[in-house]
Amino acid sequence: MKATLIATPLLFLYAQVPCKQLIPSCREAYLEDFSWDGRYWRAELYGGETTEIYYTFFPGLRYRLIPCGSSSTKAAPHLRIYNANRTLLLDTRQQGDRRYWDLELSSTQLMVIELYYPSGDGCAALLIAHRISMEASAR
Amino acid sequence: MVFAAKVARRPSLNGWVSKVFLSLIWLSGCSSPSSTDATEGQPKRDTTYAVPWELVEVYMKAAPSPVQVALWLRQEKVPFIRGSLHDPTLSGRYGGLQGAANLGIYLTDMAYAHATQNYQDAYEYLSSVNRLAARYGLDDILSVERIRTLDNLQDQPDSVQKILTQYYREVQERLEETGQQAMLRHMILGGWIESLHIALVLLENNPSKQHLAQMISLQKSLLPLIVKLYAVDSTSHSTSRQILGHLYEIESALRDIQTEASPPVTQVNKGVIQMQFREGPRLSPEQISTIKQPVQKLRQHVIQV
Repeated sequence: MKATLIATPLLFLYAQVPCKQLIPSCREAYLEDFSWDGRYWRAELYGGETTEIYYTFFPGLRYRLIPCGSSSTKAAPHLRIYNANRTLLLDTRQQGDRRYWDLELSSTQLMVIELYYPSGDGCAALLIAHRISMEASAR
Repeated sequence: MVFAAKVARRPSLNGWVSKVFLSLIWLSGCSSPSSTDATEGQPKRDTTYAVPWELVEVYMKAAPSPVQVALWLRQEKVPFIRGSLHDPTLSGRYGGLQGAANLGIYLTDMAYAHATQNYQDAYEYLSSVNRLAARYGLDDILSVERIRTLDNLQDQPDSVQKILTQYYREVQERLEETGQQAMLRHMILGGWIESLHIALVLLENNPSKQHLAQMISLQKSLLPLIVKLYAVDSTSHSTSRQILGHLYEIESALRDIQTEASPPVTQVNKGVIQMQFREGPRLSPEQISTIKQPVQKLRQHVIQV
C-alpha cells in the first residue's frame, strides 16, 4: 500500500516532466519543410492504454506523422491507422522503428489513428504536419 | 464504427490549435433562448447546455481546416453557385444559439466564395460574419481588417495559413475562456450542414464531378461525432432533441453511401506510406435527391427567421 502511494506520484512525475517537453522537441527535430498548424495530441498512457485521434486527410498533400515520447521501457510510440469504419489499414510497428512517417492518400478520408506504446508506460504525443505532395507540385 | 469503445486516454486539451475557423467552418443550431444569448461584446458562459469540451475537441481536431477545404475546392475547380447559399442580409435577425449556427453557415459560405475567387461575395459574407461575431465577443478576431490582411496575402498561401492558424487559436481560446461550448457546438453544426448542402448542390449541378462525392462521404464520416455532441443533452433539452432527430434522418439517408469503397492498396517505402483507394463513392441523381431532403429540413430549421 505504502509502495503504491509513493510510486503513484513518482510515476506521475516521471510522466509529467517529459510531457511538457515533448511538443517543442518533436516540432524542431522533424518538421523540416512541412507546415504545422499547431494542433497536437498528447496523453499519458499506462498499462497498454491507447489514445485515439480522428483526422481528415486530403489527396495532393503529404502528411508527416510525428509520434513523440518514450515509455518507461524506452519503447518508441507506434501508430495504428484505421479507416472511419475501423478497419485496420496499417500498424507502424510492423514496419520498424522510425522517428516519423510520411503519409499520402489518393482520396479524401477521415482516418482514426491510435497512438500506443508496445511496452511500458509514459507520455506520448502526435504531431501532424503537411505540405504539397511532390506529385501535386509537379502538376 | 467510429465510436468503437477502447481503453483510451483522452488527448490533453491544451495545445490544440485550430478550433476557430475550423469550428468556424464546420458547425450549427437552433432558435431557442438559452444561456448563450449574449448581448453585443458580452458573451455569457454556457450553463444550461453542459457540453463537455472533450467532445467538442474531438470533432474540431477531426474535421479538416478551412485552408485544406479551400485548397481542395480550388483543385476541383468547382463553380460558384451563389443562389444556393444563405442570404447574408438576414444576419442581423439571429441571436443566441441560432445565431451561432448561422455564423457557422456564413463562415462556410464565405470560405466557399473565397475559394472560388468570388471576392465581392466573400466580403458580403464577411460582413455578416463580423456582425454575428460581435454577439459572441469574437468580432475583434474575425474583423474586416484582419480578413483584408489575408486577402493581401492571397499569392502567399503559406502566410495565409499561418495567419489563419493564429485566428483559429485565438477563437478557440476565446470560446474556452468564455465558456461558450454550446455556442461552438452550434457553429460546428452550421458549418457542417452548409458544407454538406454546398457539396450536394455542386454535385447535382455537375454530375460528372464525382470527386465531390468524397466531400459528402467525408461529412458522413464526421456525422457520428456531431450526433455525439447533441446526444449528450438531448434528454434534457428540446433544442438538442430536435436537432438530433434531424441528424438521425440525415444519417439514415446517408446510410447507403460508401464511406470508402474498399481497403486501399498500401505501400510503405523508406518511411513513406502511400494508400491508394481503388474507387471513390459515386452518387446517382436519385441518391442526391434522397440525401438532400433531410439536409434541407435541418438547414431550414437552422436558418428560419
